[in-house]
Amino acid sequence: MKTAVGVFVLAALATLFALPSVLSAYYITLVLPAVAYAIALLGFNLLFGYTGLLSFGHALYVAVGAYGAAVLSSKLGIKSFELVLLLSGAAAVAAAIPVALLSVRYEKIFFGILTLAFGMLFHSFLFKFYDITGGDTGIRVLRPSLFGNEFKDLDKTAFLVGPFYYYCVGLLAILGFVMWRIVHSPFGLHLVASRENRRKSEYLGVRVRFFRLIAFSISAFYCAVGGAILAINTGQADPELAYWTHSGELVFMAVLGGFANFFGPLVGAFTFIFLKSELMGLTQFWRFWLGLTLIVIVVLFPRGLVGVGQDLWTRLHKR
Amino acid sequence: MSTILETVGVGKMYGDFVALDDVSLAIAEGELVSIVGPNGAGKTTLVNVLTGLLKPTAGLVRFRGQDIAGIGPVMLARRGMARAFQLVHIFPAMTVRQTIAVAVVSQEGKGLRFFSAVDDDRGVRDRVREVASIFGLERKLETEARYLSQGEKKLLDIASAFALQPEVILLDEPTSGVSSADKHGIMRNVVDAAKKAGVKAIILVEHDMDLVAEYSTRIVALTAGKVLADRPPAAFFSDPEIVAAIVGKMVGRLAKEA
Amino acid sequence: MTALFDIVFGGVFHAAVLFLVAAGLQLVFGVQKIVNLACGSFYALGAYFGISAVNWAIAAGVPPVLFLPVLILSGIVLGAIGPFIEALLRTVYDRDEAFQLLLTFALVLMFQDVLRYFWGANPQQLGDIASLYGSIQLGAVKGPAYNLLVILASIVIALGIGAFLQKTNFGRILRATAENREMALALGVNARVMYASVFTLGTILGTVGGALVVPTAAASLDMPVELVVESFAVVVIGGLGSMRGALVGALIVGLMRAAAISWYAELEMLAIYLVVIIVLVFRPAGLFGKAVE
Repeated sequence: MKTAVGVFVLAALATLFALPSVLSAYYITLVLPAVAYAIALLGFNLLFGYTGLLSFGHALYVAVGAYGAAVLSSKLGIKSFELVLLLSGAAAVAAAIPVALLSVRYEKIFFGILTLAFGMLFHSFLFKFYDITGGDTGIRVLRPSLFGNEFKDLDKTAFLVGPFYYYCVGLLAILGFVMWRIVHSPFGLHLVASRENRRKSEYLGVRVRFFRLIAFSISAFYCAVGGAILAINTGQADPELAYWTHSGELVFMAVLGGFANFFGPLVGAFTFIFLKSELMGLTQFWRFWLGLTLIVIVVLFPRGLVGVGQDLWTRLHKR
Repeated sequence: MSTILETVGVGKMYGDFVALDDVSLAIAEGELVSIVGPNGAGKTTLVNVLTGLLKPTAGLVRFRGQDIAGIGPVMLARRGMARAFQLVHIFPAMTVRQTIAVAVVSQEGKGLRFFSAVDDDRGVRDRVREVASIFGLERKLETEARYLSQGEKKLLDIASAFALQPEVILLDEPTSGVSSADKHGIMRNVVDAAKKAGVKAIILVEHDMDLVAEYSTRIVALTAGKVLADRPPAAFFSDPEIVAAIVGKMVGRLAKEA
Repeated sequence: MTALFDIVFGGVFHAAVLFLVAAGLQLVFGVQKIVNLACGSFYALGAYFGISAVNWAIAAGVPPVLFLPVLILSGIVLGAIGPFIEALLRTVYDRDEAFQLLLTFALVLMFQDVLRYFWGANPQQLGDIASLYGSIQLGAVKGPAYNLLVILASIVIALGIGAFLQKTNFGRILRATAENREMALALGVNARVMYASVFTLGTILGTVGGALVVPTAAASLDMPVELVVESFAVVVIGGLGSMRGALVGALIVGLMRAAAISWYAELEMLAIYLVVIIVLVFRPAGLFGKAVE
């Protein structure tokens, strides 16, 4: 089993690295947001899948990452993408701690509504305080340097589908590995225990609120990294990133892929981005079909695409 | 024999309702104290006060000389007291190994290790195996808790409490919902395990008077929130008034249920 | 004086409409324990459909005085979609809350395009119907009579729901089910009929709310997603599941919004969410909710 997972991960990474030589630049600019969402979803699912807390406001941290990249690059003149990631991630953690301190007192629907309220609070701040945030147009994001290299000879698209793409896939691999370690660590075990039975876990010495606060902060950091990549890809940070429907899309992706599995949300992120862009190309009524897909998944395949895959696999092996 | 856990004049009110009234008891090393009484006598409230979940409205709760009133389950586990539950309280989707490991990780203070794989931790692994074998669960290590039998679930619940290496363990109806044939098996298992693990005292909340009579060193009877009697089993069961007050009511209750 | 009156009058009008949607949300949450993200979509549907209904009424020569009843009727007719959506939600009643929430989120996405399909992407307006009802003078101040009628209609509906829940047999059964679902089912309450009726009633409250607001404001595709967060604010402030909470919450949100708009527009939604968060910090269950953990 362990080796099967290893082979699968290596194959997936090799495919991602090989894609630019196979696909046109247009498709690579589509893979890039998928990679960004995959990173955000790694964090989101630590909270949702492993800790059992459904946030309907995690778009807030994606937006913090995006605006972090925007402010740092176009207002403060910071070029280094490494620094942008660290600072935006730190800002997201700083924003997450007060929210988490309040929210982790609750579970289930109350946690969802409270996080949604905080998300919308931030959205209206972005939207209304034009002087600071640029209002509904947002703030431009300038091209960063990667490891000090600015790639001045490349035009925008060449930069994005070239060095930036490889950089982000590398980031996904590293952050994915770190998250894999976290969910399999003693800390991760305690998170799962608190999800399964809060009271019992407390009697076994699990510091439920404190650990949930940490999980919340880690998830915010990952979302901010995803948000920074998204913002650089589009060249813009705008308030829609913080809107509650965007939070809903994060949940959508996690469930689409299957939140009970470590890789489910990653599969969900890639599937969602491609489904959405294909549907948008086919019809102006893409939301309808996206919604219908979600209904089918929720009603018929609650374990998501990975769950469907696992069922097929076991059925094939039984024969 | 020194006192390890005691309450002094503990009272607990819910609004106007008196759940506990001036309850004083002391539990010493080597004891197995049973708390008995009819439904509504305040057993659950007393258990919750003893385990630091509820803060009493009057009086003191001391564990090893320190005040533990309302400190909460996490701190309680750290101080060295564990609790097993009346209704089966497990982690349904976690395996026996993982369930016991939760307690071992707490006990060894490894909860804040973010980056080491818990499965590769030899210390945790050995300890989990040891605890599982004490309770006869070593063959079920990779079974998810929801697929265990009722009796095995009980044992797992108790085993995970033992894995904390507590000095005192509180068992809240450890045999409810288990066939009477298995009840003695579970109790014997627990008492033996406690001896092996160095548990200094056991508190037992139990309806089954046969078990209470056989295993207790002392019996505390509650009615209407007050201590009616606090004496060894022989003296307890030889007093017809107490037996009538406690056992009579409980037999009546059982008859009603049946 | 006039400025203050405008704020209070505008705030209460907005509160009246918000109350209807929030009451629908509360009913459904109380009985089915589902938080319906699509409540805003019902509201928008009511608004668009109301425009079509009034346009049809104008074409059919219906006298303008009857536009208000036409709007209310159009909202009630839309209740017909309630049972179908309830049948869909029924598939997830015993599942994790995440699935319930996501299913209603899927409805939000789908309704967005249903509205776009039937009424187009541009905001729709109903001309100046409201002014047909004239205005009322009260000493030094005056306001549009239509808004007053809507406030009155909302009060009548609120009282009607109250009487329905307190006095009728069905209302008592409904409250019993909200209190203790297992018990009610064990006592032979027909869950299917109960759930379908409650959800339909909740839908109607939303659609009527949308229909009533449309003579004073344009219907747009942003309506559903914006209204959801406002009605969430209302039910969180008031307490999930409480009708009285919906009323008080709606008044707080409506008045605060009106005040913020006239004094310091930047604060509009910000102020509302701040109140939500403050309430949750000090009274986690909301002003009228039951304690939660």
